[in-house]
Amino acid sequence: MTALLERESRVDVSNPLGIEGIEFVEYTTPRPQALGQVLESMGFRPVARHRSREVLLFRQGSMNIVVNAHGGAPAQGEAPQIAAVALRVRDAGAAWQRVVDLGGWPVPVKVQPMELHIPGVHGAGASRIYFVDRWREFSIYDVDFVPIPTVDPKVASVAGLHWFGIVQYVGSDRSADWCAFYTSLFGFTLLPAEQRFGILPKGSVLASPCGGFYLQLIEPEALVVDDTGERLQRVAFGAPDVPAAVKALRARGVDFVETSELHTEARGALTRPALGGVMFELVHHG
Amino acid sequence: MRSAEYIADFGMDTISLAGPLAAKLRAIEDAGFSQVMLAARDLVGHPEGWRAAVAEVKSSSLRVTGFQVLRDFEGLSDHLHDYKVDIARSMIEMCAALGSPVLLACSSTSRHASNDEAVIARDLRKLAMMALPYGIKVAFEGLSWGRHINDLVGAWRVVERADAPNLGVGVDSFHSFATRTPTEVLQDVDPEKIFLVQLADFMWQEIRTVEERIETARHFRVFPGEGVHSDELRGLVIELDRMGYRGDYSFEVFNDDYTQIPLPVVCERARRSAAWLAEDVLHRAVPLPDGTRLRMSTAR
Repeated sequence: MTALLERESRVDVSNPLGIEGIEFVEYTTPRPQALGQVLESMGFRPVARHRSREVLLFRQGSMNIVVNAHGGAPAQGEAPQIAAVALRVRDAGAAWQRVVDLGGWPVPVKVQPMELHIPGVHGAGASRIYFVDRWREFSIYDVDFVPIPTVDPKVASVAGLHWFGIVQYVGSDRSADWCAFYTSLFGFTLLPAEQRFGILPKGSVLASPCGGFYLQLIEPEALVVDDTGERLQRVAFGAPDVPAAVKALRARGVDFVETSELHTEARGALTRPALGGVMFELVHHG
Repeated sequence: MRSAEYIADFGMDTISLAGPLAAKLRAIEDAGFSQVMLAARDLVGHPEGWRAAVAEVKSSSLRVTGFQVLRDFEGLSDHLHDYKVDIARSMIEMCAALGSPVLLACSSTSRHASNDEAVIARDLRKLAMMALPYGIKVAFEGLSWGRHINDLVGAWRVVERADAPNLGVGVDSFHSFATRTPTEVLQDVDPEKIFLVQLADFMWQEIRTVEERIETARHFRVFPGEGVHSDELRGLVIELDRMGYRGDYSFEVFNDDYTQIPLPVVCERARRSAAWLAEDVLHRAVPLPDGTRLRMSTAR
């Protein structure tokens, strides 16, 4: 194999898209201010506004969250939805082309003049996966966003929070399908069943080809009628010290789930759902 | 509507019937069937558009067995491939709107298609990945007049090679009998990867030429038990059942005569065929004369 690729030394066969982490996660919501408050309690701060749309950029440490009020009401009532994940890749155009060539569905582009064309493909449910390659030398937000005056664009993270992963709810007997989707189109690797993180270890876990983050696929409980559909259900933040992070977030007004089955531990914690379904998981991770 | 739970695994295909979609659905329901195989033509040919057709299907009591048929997808290159990808996307969107669990794709007849099985497998895997976000399984069927893949053996070989969880084979008894594919070849196929079984009988003992196969397949099929291949059909269904196939059986009966006689008459023939397979071949429980079974199933 190596000999066959001697002219393409930049292509890492185990990471064909050159994925290097998550650039941003996008939520859509008809109530952006309410979601903004939730994000601020989690340690994010609004740092910029989109030039042409009702979109705000929130930041904390290395994490960016985009809150989009532009796309109209989300599919399921009022609850905010995770609408997209943008991956950092080596070459966004090449990554997009490769995924489309392998069967991904291109997302139609709707950009205004002077805005960036961020290529994307359809993911679970109504969600999208975007590819971003301009994150080293300058940021995509310099083009599409206007900084909010007086706000420092650098935001310190609360207790070292950083991206850990994304939890996707899948249909019954659909784990194998989605594993094939993420492994063959994006180069993810399915972890063995004994390798689990946090306090909600159900389902299948896939590691990103860069090793920087994880996807967890969860099917409905057997015999439970669940017609809520497939979707990106929550994000998880890594925390070097979960109890310390929980303490810091509690001081900011965040509630955590504390029941006999599910509660804060050294390996993880889960916030109580806000706004009809927005929750965040904490996972012990350096 | 006659309740007929014991024939629940068997369904009709709209291609056996003439007339508008609503009339076909009603006739199939009235004969006691609970499922229907739909063709893209049923949707796009609807006078009020394909979304109206989807709404008609959804308002019926029938569930959708599958959606057909994507032709000549695999083995093409460059602009021909891109063109077929667009066609496939349209088919997948309609299939998804219907809530159909299966999209039927049949092997290419195109002389522009490559015979390289690595290419065929790669394209089928791509098709499966395209269908995947919608929760659709792709059943790949070897047409008996396919250019490179023309039987179940070949179809299974490339499906195994493509190795996608939502890609499997479709078994069509007509093509198996036409190519004289022995039932034993099923033993090499993983029953979990048989995503659709289509059954049909026909009136001639043998069909030798490809032209004759196409002609027979498209105009002269009959329902299982109505032709001269009943014993082979019995053997096929028993073997599928024995190996653990628990999916649907759809009657893939193209017949010019059936499209010019009243729908209830055709549906009654289909019902008799389903009853023969359920009772005599698979020995399924039959409704009791006092209607106990009927009340039970209505109560569900």
